[in-house]
Amino acid sequence: MSIFIKNRSVPVFIGLLILFALGVTVMSEAYGSGAISVSFTKVLGMTLCLCLAALAMDLVWGYCGILSLGHIDFFGLGGYVIGMWLMTARTEAVVRGNLAAQPIPPTESEISDATALQIFSVVGAEDWPWMWAASDSLFLSLLLIVAVPGLLALVFGWLAFRSRVTGVYLSILTQAMTLALSLYLFQNDTGLRGNNGLSGLQNIPGAEDIGQERISIWFFWASAVALGVTYIASAWLISSKFGNIIRGIRDDELRVRFLGYQVEGYKLFVFTLSGVMCGVAGALYYPQAGIINPDEIAPIASIYLAVWVAIGGRGRLYGAVIGAAVVSLLSTYFTGGRAPDIILGVIQIEWVDWWPVLLGLGFVLVTLFAPKGLGGLFDYIVRKAPAEPKAEDRI
Amino acid sequence: MLEIKDLTLHYSGSQILNGVTMNAAQGQVTCVMGTNGGGKTSLMKAISGTHARSGGSVRFDGADLPKLPAHKLAQMGIGYVPQGRMIFPLLTVRENLETGLACLPQAERKIPDRIFEMFPVLKEMENRRGGDLSGGQQQQLAIGRALITRPKLLLMDAPTEGIQPNIIQLIGQVIQQLRDEGEMAIILVEQYFDFAFDLADQFYVLKRGEAVFSTSKAQATRDEVQAAFSL
Amino acid sequence: MSTLLEVQGVSVTFDGFRAINNLSFEIGATELRAVIGPNGAGKTTFMDIVTGKTRPDEGTVRWGDLGHSLLSMSEAKIAQAGIGRKFQRPTVFEDQSVYDNLRVALKKPRGPLAAIFDKTSDADGARIAEIAEEIGLADQIQRQAGILSHGQKQWLEIGMLLAQDPKLLLVDEPAAGMTTEEREHTTALLKRLAENHAVVVVEHDMEFVRRLDCRVTVLHEGSVLAEGSLNHVMADDRVIEVYLGR
Repeated sequence: MSIFIKNRSVPVFIGLLILFALGVTVMSEAYGSGAISVSFTKVLGMTLCLCLAALAMDLVWGYCGILSLGHIDFFGLGGYVIGMWLMTARTEAVVRGNLAAQPIPPTESEISDATALQIFSVVGAEDWPWMWAASDSLFLSLLLIVAVPGLLALVFGWLAFRSRVTGVYLSILTQAMTLALSLYLFQNDTGLRGNNGLSGLQNIPGAEDIGQERISIWFFWASAVALGVTYIASAWLISSKFGNIIRGIRDDELRVRFLGYQVEGYKLFVFTLSGVMCGVAGALYYPQAGIINPDEIAPIASIYLAVWVAIGGRGRLYGAVIGAAVVSLLSTYFTGGRAPDIILGVIQIEWVDWWPVLLGLGFVLVTLFAPKGLGGLFDYIVRKAPAEPKAEDRI
Repeated sequence: MLEIKDLTLHYSGSQILNGVTMNAAQGQVTCVMGTNGGGKTSLMKAISGTHARSGGSVRFDGADLPKLPAHKLAQMGIGYVPQGRMIFPLLTVRENLETGLACLPQAERKIPDRIFEMFPVLKEMENRRGGDLSGGQQQQLAIGRALITRPKLLLMDAPTEGIQPNIIQLIGQVIQQLRDEGEMAIILVEQYFDFAFDLADQFYVLKRGEAVFSTSKAQATRDEVQAAFSL
Repeated sequence: MSTLLEVQGVSVTFDGFRAINNLSFEIGATELRAVIGPNGAGKTTFMDIVTGKTRPDEGTVRWGDLGHSLLSMSEAKIAQAGIGRKFQRPTVFEDQSVYDNLRVALKKPRGPLAAIFDKTSDADGARIAEIAEEIGLADQIQRQAGILSHGQKQWLEIGMLLAQDPKLLLVDEPAAGMTTEEREHTTALLKRLAENHAVVVVEHDMEFVRRLDCRVTVLHEGSVLAEGSLNHVMADDRVIEVYLGR
């Protein structure tokens, strides 16, 4: 595949990813020494999913110039779709087990009613909402992981791009979309259990006997594979003429129009593709997190995604991945309560509260001293001398 | 007024100026010509401080000039009319001119009438936004703005580019007037040969970042200069 | 010769300022035309209207044998119909190489899927090399466009116009930033193109216009002030007063 020959970063990245995956496996509880706990395996797996979301964000922002501050919507929708299936299948299995002891075997509809009651009583309802129509079919749910975020991206993008909204105004619209969605999901009668969200997602139906040690490492591998495949696919896309055109749209939209390209179509394509990628990332993330609720799709979450990509270096695929990995892991460390508090005289710095300050400071420092982000810094170190910008350095 | 020796300049690893040596005398127009990519605009940027020089020495007004940022050089008397004019589109003509006052001591911050005498259209369009002006009017504004800073050295990069013939004549007259007053050194980067030849006292031709030819009007004929320019 | 583009009675007003005032203009399929006039006369606005960037308040713009109205078409559709434009200020993709700029401009299917699977054929590669040679950037072909000089960027944009191979070329101030030799090269190129394209050139360099040896349209305050051979318009008192100077 010429993509491996033309761009050194692709095989290097894939190689490092494979090494990383092997390393974690060898230290995992299921297949190795157990140096990495189950919960940390999940953290690493989730981080890989966030890297995938950052990759999607980099495509739409770093390469096409669309600052979407609502991409976590797609991430969350992917999570909700898979969550619905997970909850339905697992709860139904539990219900089936409970009712099996009865003298008269329960009918399918009785099982269904009991499952619904079990899931929705927390919000005071007992019927299946329309949204859960496909939740008993794994096949349909997998399709919907792609279709639901994809459709939202398509509709929103079509409305926004054809009215030629760009720049800050577009970003504000995406924030509005996010806010609207999260408010909608918070309501108890929307059918997604309001702010209780969907829980117990780590319990995989049909895998009751397989312990979390193995499930966690399998999801980790799945996340790594998803990231690797998407990275290669993105690199391939960017190095085609399509990549040249969307970069042209980022830098001079008018020029691209005057060359005869329908800019709206290209933007819609990238935006929708990127939304679907986020949806897939979310579908892999939330079973590892175990729970999803509307808080996850708060407007701030999408802003964090943009911050990760900015710190990592946008317009470079591995930059986005580095940014997401470094910042989200640091975030987990500092807000997880394990970072030692710093006592400065009368002031006590509790990292749980002070992490946003550190993040903001990091963002400012990166902007001032490493405008190409951590990825750019990495380039500089590897290459030693700043070379004349080469046109092929776009991946 | 200006003496440059072995000036070099890089753009992130790429060397654009390979050791330029030239002089610009007070009361004279020094013209710099050359092919595209030869380094003319880069030379202007180096002299004005817009882009830092990598090496070489510069003497200005009798003293050695260290690598100073552009705003310091402007205060010291290096005025720059860049290629493309670079007018502030949202500021009015008057406000654009007033930006030049920053180089003057507090007590003298007033737009001299002479600017409006040179360029009457600026008075007419005083309250129009810079971006609403036509190209020719913007060029007059750019020159006026530079003159307000009371430069000892005036750098003009392609002032006739995209300008209609009768305004080109006006600009030529203004440059001649400034030269004849004898206080300023003027460096003119131009591709429009006839305009440049009529005004210049001294010529340099830049090719691949070096001055490959230099002569004064007294020493060479029009044909000789034109030939050197086309080489 | 058939009329390729017909502009009739077009007017447009911006914030109370009548930029184009009842302008009419026609050009044939293989005609070379120079458009001159003071800065602010509406030359660029005229091009904006033809290429779909600005919608006029009145008037018609008709294209081709069938007389399609361009006014309802988007900029991209107008470009696809065969109108290419070089802007006054170099408008190239600064972040990409000379090669990539030319490749994107090359006349090929414009859809996203076509772009994803696009392979530069040998013929394409040869055409790009040919254009690069013509515009004097053959040895800079892998360089990032952003670090080219002003004049080189102008040439690149001309190259992109050539790659597009439109039926009508709108060339706004091609001579800016060029040496005398390059200007001669450009006039020769434009005259050659006019043998099977329509070419409209906006310029201020009268020597350049003279070498083009074609019909000249003078615009002033948004409408046509004079039209005819260069000698004819240069002798016109009004043109001398507003534009040429004495």
